[in-house]
Amino acid sequence: MISRTMDRRRFLRAGLAGTAAVLAPGALSQARAQGTNPIRIGVPTAITGTWAALGDQVVRTCKLVAEEVKEKGGILGRPVEFLFEDTQGNPANCVRKAQEMVERHGVNLFTGIMASSEALAVTAKLAEWNAFFISSINGAGELTAEKFVPNFFRANTSGPMGARTIALYLKDAPQKTFFAIGLDYAWGHSSVAVFEKEIQRAGKEFVGKVFAPTGTKDYATYIARIRQVNPDGLYVALTGDDGTAFYQQAAQYRLGEKIQMFTELVDMLNLRPGGDATTGLIGSSRYTFTLDTPANRTFVQRFQKAYGQPPDTFDGEQYQALQILFRAMDKARTAETAPLVKAMEGLEATTVKGTVVMRECDHQGAQQGIVVRAVKRQGFAHPIPEVIRTYPADLVTPPCRKSSYS
Amino acid sequence: MSLTALLVTQGLNALSLAALLFLISAGLTLIFGIMRIINFAHGALYMLGAYLGFSLTLWSGSYWAGLAAAPVAVGGIGWLLEFLALRPLYRRDAGAFLLVTFGLALVLTESVRLGWGPDPQRLAIPPQLAATVSILDEPFPVYRLFLAGTGVVVAVSLWQFLERTRLGLLIRATAQNAEMVEAVGVNVRWIRSGVFGLGCALAALGGVMAAPLVTAYLGMGLNVIIEAFVIVIIGGMGSFVGSAVGSLVVAGVQTFGNFYLPELALAIIYLAMIAVLVLRPYGLFGHEE
Repeated sequence: MISRTMDRRRFLRAGLAGTAAVLAPGALSQARAQGTNPIRIGVPTAITGTWAALGDQVVRTCKLVAEEVKEKGGILGRPVEFLFEDTQGNPANCVRKAQEMVERHGVNLFTGIMASSEALAVTAKLAEWNAFFISSINGAGELTAEKFVPNFFRANTSGPMGARTIALYLKDAPQKTFFAIGLDYAWGHSSVAVFEKEIQRAGKEFVGKVFAPTGTKDYATYIARIRQVNPDGLYVALTGDDGTAFYQQAAQYRLGEKIQMFTELVDMLNLRPGGDATTGLIGSSRYTFTLDTPANRTFVQRFQKAYGQPPDTFDGEQYQALQILFRAMDKARTAETAPLVKAMEGLEATTVKGTVVMRECDHQGAQQGIVVRAVKRQGFAHPIPEVIRTYPADLVTPPCRKSSYS
Repeated sequence: MSLTALLVTQGLNALSLAALLFLISAGLTLIFGIMRIINFAHGALYMLGAYLGFSLTLWSGSYWAGLAAAPVAVGGIGWLLEFLALRPLYRRDAGAFLLVTFGLALVLTESVRLGWGPDPQRLAIPPQLAATVSILDEPFPVYRLFLAGTGVVVAVSLWQFLERTRLGLLIRATAQNAEMVEAVGVNVRWIRSGVFGLGCALAALGGVMAAPLVTAYLGMGLNVIIEAFVIVIIGGMGSFVGSAVGSLVVAGVQTFGNFYLPELALAIIYLAMIAVLVLRPYGLFGHEE
């Protein structure tokens, strides 16, 4: 009996020692983590839903940047950690997920938020959370105008800046008469309206417009109408599957041979499914991997190696936003919200898209406007956006806290 | 563009669109005629046809192989679905079929998403059909002529099959009085499975032929099924000739309507449907049940 008790005691002791040995490294590593205190960046973005393809760009670029920072030994000597959450592009989800990140993980930095409606919902809470948000995607003009908040910065090209760029280009373009086809919902109408205004301001003739409902599968009748009007230029405000179907069918009718097609944004996501059909299309670009800057060449090479394809629009925009954020942290010597805002104001950084100045007055990143044309290049199964013209930042960036150019 | 050129090209446009719509609505109406069920999965099968056509073309290297094999494959899948999911329900009321076919549509769509991913898949026009011809000095894609031609050939062959062959006779008889057909010793179950498979194969053929125009994408079935319902209602539920005429009416109204009155694009086919229903409540070729 006694010996058996002894045995059990010895067994228990051995067990406890063993448990301690197993737990110790965990406790140690936890202590180490607290000592160096990682910089946590919250990325509540659209991982599923309509914008999943764009959210994928955000996530993969953040992961690439995390690797890059790790190799360099961190920022301010601290490791950088990205926290991803899926919002499906829904503002209510986005605020909830962001709030969870603030409360549970002590996050004070946000980026990669997808829809402008989500960004507007989050910027309204930034002061309450004492958090900082640098936009990489959000296009809505009001974020740096009517809805300006001190803790928000926009590193990316805004919607009005894209429209402005293409308007500047049209002024110089040889085409005299323009027709527009748009998707029959809010974005299509507003895009065509902006275009119409810009065309008239450029002293050219706007000869008509037509709107097609979403989900239109046969564009033949619209193409017949465009042919009959026979404009020099055609503005296309169709996206996604609708855009793809239109370009495909327009190419089958050889529409592009007589009429130059323009669109708001030329992006590989739109060019890929269209195949050769989008060749020749001209539009503005927020970022293209063909941009010839030293920083971009390095980034494209690295990206290509990691993912086996060149970076797309929001890969480049996300990368630029993070580079600017890290530059500000270096300047502030901290990742705390208030000093970071101060360091960010007036910050000048040279990144993948060239030189960006984060304006003090409205926190918009002043940067050049890019016009691209979809061209066939060897080694690519689809046309790629090639830069044909750039406009300097002071022509493209709107007046302070404005989203129009009057 | 001269007025004659415009009318001729628009007429051909309407005919090619009618061909696509016919392939989808003919299957829908055949299935309704013989089984008295509205197949909500029809749009999803059309989409599945487009995706399978894309993959089979890629795999075999020939558009023609994809065009031939995808409808056969989807026809087989349709036959199997009837056997597994619908056959046990024939004693139930129509509500059961609504739920099951709607569920099938969701399952098929998600399966396609899992299999091919969320990105649209582009099927190129085969080189033999990629050219344009000049019609009254206006370039017109040969592929659209091929669409229109295929539509006419399929419509005439199906019509002859239903009218002239013994199997066609049995199908028509089953549509009229299934119990009577069974009583004279014909296996009605077998006919039902076959017709369901045939309807699905037609939808898939439409899907493969639509893919070079719109690419194969996840929402394509949803967009087309509503138009197919409108056609079936205009033509008369269960009437094969009705689906052919209904397709021509809807395609014509869309092509010419969207040209002259683009603001009404969304409403115009429904206006046509209402007009037909006011004049003939059972559709152009339908009969009171």
